[in-house]
Amino acid sequence: MMDNLYRSEEASARGEAAIIVISLFFAGLLVVAFTSNPISTGTQPGERAPLFSGKAYDGNGWQTFVFDDLLTPEWSPNSTGDAPWIAIEFMDTDCGHCKTAAEKVGNWAQQYSSTVWDGPEVIFIAVAVEFVADSSRSEIQTFRDSNEHTFPYVDDLDREVVDKWQVGGTPAYFLVQPDGIVAWNSAQTVNSIGWDANAEEVFALSDYTGDQYIELNEAIEQLTKKYGGETQ
Amino acid sequence: MNEYAILSIHGSIILIGVILMTPFGDAIGGFLVNKWPSTATNRGRMLAGLMLVCTGGFTVSAHTLWMHNKLSEGGSVCSGSEILNCDGLIGNPDYNTVPFLNQPWGLLGMVAFCVLLWLAVTIAKEPLALSTPTFLKAGLGATIAGLPVIALLVSYEIKEGLICPFCTTAHIANVIAMVAFFLLLKMYESDEWAPELKKSRK
Repeated sequence: MMDNLYRSEEASARGEAAIIVISLFFAGLLVVAFTSNPISTGTQPGERAPLFSGKAYDGNGWQTFVFDDLLTPEWSPNSTGDAPWIAIEFMDTDCGHCKTAAEKVGNWAQQYSSTVWDGPEVIFIAVAVEFVADSSRSEIQTFRDSNEHTFPYVDDLDREVVDKWQVGGTPAYFLVQPDGIVAWNSAQTVNSIGWDANAEEVFALSDYTGDQYIELNEAIEQLTKKYGGETQ
Repeated sequence: MNEYAILSIHGSIILIGVILMTPFGDAIGGFLVNKWPSTATNRGRMLAGLMLVCTGGFTVSAHTLWMHNKLSEGGSVCSGSEILNCDGLIGNPDYNTVPFLNQPWGLLGMVAFCVLLWLAVTIAKEPLALSTPTFLKAGLGATIAGLPVIALLVSYEIKEGLICPFCTTAHIANVIAMVAFFLLLKMYESDEWAPELKKSRK
């Protein structure tokens, strides 16, 4: 090719045109790069949580559920409003660990949404998937009612949401900031990593119970109260 | 600045390119000929117009890439209307990346228009080169290959009941570039491509 460039005037025209166009391309990329700070969609701390919608059982029936409706896009670490955080549990009605965890999840849902809790409100959502055995909407209803849960159960028996959220097993828990950024993911490689919205970097959460595993309640208590003004 | 004011800048670049390619380009060519002597000929004006269309397509694609990034930050960039709404499309993770490549559509547009621009600039620099017909056919082929991509993106718009004016401008630029490459190829096959050679042959 270099030989062609020396000998051929046509190659020279191609080379000059390429220099002009490549310069334009990189100039465009630089302008975009310096004026925006993209956040990828995903489920690791610091990523934007994938959006989803579907039907959810709230105790009275199956209602339309839209995850975006829970978000407060204008939230920032210095916000002083009452924007709620979102805790999501991916569960399977046939999963033993999910059955065992049901009572404490119910307690957390009440504890962190009540006025007794001095941090910001945390909205709980369960996403019911089908990993272990055949499940159905009536099983989901029975599971929710028998555990006296007060939060909605989203039907994900077709596993559309669970695939988007890259959940490989149940139960899996996520804590999402009011602006839709994932703050903590129980199933990440290092379970104790949380997202610091001020520093815009991950940091290590403290293990209160010393069991080498961060539970959802530990993540909620350390992450939601980290920012100024976000109290009820 | 209002998003439609910025869109009109991209649109103006494309529009000037289109005018240069039409018979009205004759009049404009008169003003440009001192600075760019090649605009004195039909071929020169067509190529200049094509370069402007590709540049407009590039800038509007870069703008959609910027919107993609801004929307991922949680902002809103173009959601003023129920129907003319880019946020619902460029901000929708189900539709806003190229299948398999997983890159924003805007980036694909930037690359595509840069390739078309490279073909146009090369042809303009050496219009009598042996590679010119190959480059013209490559440009025509590339813009035709863009049509199924446009159809896919329009199907997203229909599905969501939204129109993204910025994306539509890039689609229009591709279609105009396709027509321009076709007309240039026709011109190449006629004597009009290099009338000076025709005269010297006589």
